[in-house]
Amino acid sequence: MKNRDYAASVHFYGIIWDITALLLFILVPVAICVHLGVWPQGSYVLKGLLPVAMLFYPTSVIEVFTYTPLLGAGGTYLSFVTGNITNLKLPCGLNAMENAGVRANSEEGEVISTIAIATSSIVTTIIIAVGVVAFSPVLPYLTDENSIFAPAFNQVVPALFGALGISYFMKHWKISIVPVAAIILILLVNGEIASGVLIPVGVVISLVSAHLMFKKGLLDDKTEKAEKSEKAE
Amino acid sequence: MDFKSDKFMYFLGALVVVFVVAQSVFFLVRAWKRGKALGLSTDALKKTVSSSALFTVAPALAILATVLTLSGALGMVLPWIRLTVIGAITYEVPAAEAAIEAFGSTAGLSQEVTDPTVFATIAWVMTLGSIMPLILVPFILKKIQKGLGKVAAKNGKWADVMSAAAFIGLISAFIGRAVAGSGDKVVIGDGAGVMSIAALLSSMLFMFILQKLADRFNLKWLQPFAMPFSMILAMVVVMILAQVLPHDIAVLEWRG
Repeated sequence: MKNRDYAASVHFYGIIWDITALLLFILVPVAICVHLGVWPQGSYVLKGLLPVAMLFYPTSVIEVFTYTPLLGAGGTYLSFVTGNITNLKLPCGLNAMENAGVRANSEEGEVISTIAIATSSIVTTIIIAVGVVAFSPVLPYLTDENSIFAPAFNQVVPALFGALGISYFMKHWKISIVPVAAIILILLVNGEIASGVLIPVGVVISLVSAHLMFKKGLLDDKTEKAEKSEKAE
Repeated sequence: MDFKSDKFMYFLGALVVVFVVAQSVFFLVRAWKRGKALGLSTDALKKTVSSSALFTVAPALAILATVLTLSGALGMVLPWIRLTVIGAITYEVPAAEAAIEAFGSTAGLSQEVTDPTVFATIAWVMTLGSIMPLILVPFILKKIQKGLGKVAAKNGKWADVMSAAAFIGLISAFIGRAVAGSGDKVVIGDGAGVMSIAALLSSMLFMFILQKLADRFNLKWLQPFAMPFSMILAMVVVMILAQVLPHDIAVLEWRG
């Protein structure tokens, strides 16, 4: 019974926080306009918004459907407010659940992923704020194209998914081969496909191939072994 | 003083920061209490916090770098606000470019924005273009979770395979991009090439070694830090390679 209460309260407060966030975010450009005493014509805003919205509105619908099952309820309400989901919040939550040895679709998983994502949001916000306020005079030198740190900043994403990937591949190598191969093939045909499209494609291919293998009984031993080793931990 | 980074703008930035931190603390405290009630140890919860914090440092610095990339044209504060909430470089850059283009300028973000009207338009486009998930989430999250709950109740084993498969699908997309993607032209070094492969493989290798070490010598403290350490070490490798390798090899990207 208690179980129900927590899940219900996450949704209740989550919705309140999300709607407040929405209002606050819209308040920012309103405040800028009031402060500067300029009101841009709607037509210019629409002209700028249209190409972006055509790409990002459908993507955001896909994102909500793809990420929510992975983030959990609390994680979702937090992540969609602070953003940077694929490159930060999601892998952070996955890493935490993996370390704690809890399953994603359990209540323990929900709790751990919420704690991880909340921590990550706080740390990110503080790092950016401190960086902007305190280090703004020196930072251009760090991120300058010629700085020795620049190449590393460009490779944060591969560095992150390499480490995350290997731990998943080692545990679930059977279901990893098809999606990795498929994505590389797709990119060899058209390398320009954006990650916003590639992610749902990868998830669908992975789910379909894993489902077929599961039905054929190809995963039986592996899953049982994995479960046993999880228990042993 | 520049209107893009005056006191009022900093005040707006601070307001957004306070909101984001307050929401995160709110959920963190509630999840922590629930975790204790579920029987998770304080130690496990603390480790989750410390490893997540460490994990976040490198990507957060990368986000800070994005703020700086945009600050040339937009000043420091608007990019700061945009990347604290919802924002990601893949979205903010095209949004700002589209808004500037609406005024007939093709210079995009390479030039400083000095017209307050253009600046306000950019702020609107960046905001309106990115708030879609916040409108959707309150309506559909409960429904999605109900659907998942049904699958889990019907077949627990498939539900576990399913969530692993979904993660792997997501990971494949990024690994695929590092191996064979052309990348985003706006972002230098985003395409697959020597550096992306170096980062990918070295981080895999470090992770493999650190995990084996942790298992072999039963180093429980190392486990949660294996991933952030691997990531940072891989970035150090990239930095060293960028210095040591001849320039044309270091910047080689095979998909153009």
